[in-house]
Amino acid sequence: MSEPILEVEDLRVAYGRVQAVRGVSFTVPEGGLVALVGANGAGKSSVLAAVSGLMRPAGGRVRFDGEDVTRRPAHRRIAAGLVLVPEGRQILGTLTVAENLALGAHRRRRQAAPESEMYDLFPVLAERRALPAGSLSGGEQQMLAIARAMIARPRVVLLDEPSMGLAPKMVDEVFAVIEKIRASGVTVVLVEQNARRALRAADTGHVLETGEIAHSGPASELLQDPRVVKAYLGVE
Amino acid sequence: MLQQLANGVFAGSIYALFAIGFTLVFGVLRHLNLAHPAVFTAGAFVGIEVAARTAIPVWILLPVVALFGALAGVLVERIAFRPLRGRDDEHFAGLISSVALGGIVIALLQARYGTEPQSFAMDYFPDRLFEVAGVRVTLTQLVTLGLALVLMVGLAWLVSATPLGRSMRAVAENPTAAKVLGVNVGRVTAGTYALSSALGTVAGALLALNLGQAGRDLGASIELVGFAVIILGGLGSLWGAMAAGVVLGIAEALTIHLFDSTWKSMVAFALLFAVLVLRPRGLFGHVKVREV
Repeated sequence: MSEPILEVEDLRVAYGRVQAVRGVSFTVPEGGLVALVGANGAGKSSVLAAVSGLMRPAGGRVRFDGEDVTRRPAHRRIAAGLVLVPEGRQILGTLTVAENLALGAHRRRRQAAPESEMYDLFPVLAERRALPAGSLSGGEQQMLAIARAMIARPRVVLLDEPSMGLAPKMVDEVFAVIEKIRASGVTVVLVEQNARRALRAADTGHVLETGEIAHSGPASELLQDPRVVKAYLGVE
Repeated sequence: MLQQLANGVFAGSIYALFAIGFTLVFGVLRHLNLAHPAVFTAGAFVGIEVAARTAIPVWILLPVVALFGALAGVLVERIAFRPLRGRDDEHFAGLISSVALGGIVIALLQARYGTEPQSFAMDYFPDRLFEVAGVRVTLTQLVTLGLALVLMVGLAWLVSATPLGRSMRAVAENPTAAKVLGVNVGRVTAGTYALSSALGTVAGALLALNLGQAGRDLGASIELVGFAVIILGGLGSLWGAMAAGVVLGIAEALTIHLFDSTWKSMVAFALLFAVLVLRPRGLFGHVKVREV
């Protein structure tokens, strides 16, 4: 396999005295789909916050495309093509759908996709482009959050709990979109509490427990691993 | 009567200019910048000094004052607010530290200019008197009103239609989301303060131009009325501040007309009180629909 596009090395994240991430290391190959799964509070979202630049890590390194970006501000990582779809969607409710998309593109104007391409990919957004994003349903807002990241034509997209709080049918749609994204060659890091769905979509999986990686391996093997099945997958 | 209305509109346009600068910072960053009146006063003194030293005409003088204001605004944020960022009490602490910074600015003005009011030269901006339909207005008043309108419409355009404005609205609604989208929050913060203080200093210079002079208490004299305007219009609402500025200006003028000038301040604060009790979000403020 080629050089990894994203390397996380001994990453530590702390909130005050509480250590949320305690030395996590993993790599993501270009074009791959890596899933980080684990219980609520295991530190999955904190890993993404540090990788995307929303939080300063307490220690460790993040390398993107061969360059150390650990101390770079979020907007410069986005400009380089490392884009986060945050937990809880974080769409801007008083701005219109179109304005949300325009903000998603503004750091990568040269590479960005035309807005119409996102409307082709997410037809539901096309009908609502002039409406305040806050008027969309939860599922539609999640689509907007993903579209807002994809319009920047990222090289790596970090998805934080994209299926959280959605109806089962919308969860299916979100995972269909994730399939499309990876089929288009974009590298994906997927954080999910829905471990089974995430591991089915991924090539590689890492299971986080209290801020550390407890199990790693090809996703198909983790799906069979009795320890993982018992703790995170349960009986289907 | 008509004359009083006109006077009210002129005074109100200065109130509005003062208020939109203050309310802009609150609307975007949730900071209550109580150094704003001191910056306003500084704008008046700087205007007077630059006019005396260089004799540049007023349409160059005001942009120079605005530039000074923009720099001052960036400094206010750096000194009074940025060091407190991330603390639990950051908003309250910022409010207090901005009061302190405002005091320092006034003390510096006193150190440089002394305690006596400073004046524009008599012939700096030769005033002319017009009479329209029995209402007497001065050229200075017309310039003030015109400029206030241009600046307010310009600011509204900037916020609604430019990339900086879009970023400002993004930060106003959800700073985390703005950061996720790659908005350079530091730059938007600096830009917001620069705009706010540029408007504040120009308002100060305009008031000094109307009065012919400025004392250290120029900002203090407008401060409370300015805050009444901001509450009346709805904290964070630009259009509200503009409309409320004029409403208050007219209300004051009518009070003078109907009673006498000692009742002037009472009207401002009675209005403020009534709004706080009856409609706490202000005349034009709206309840925000927030994402959970």
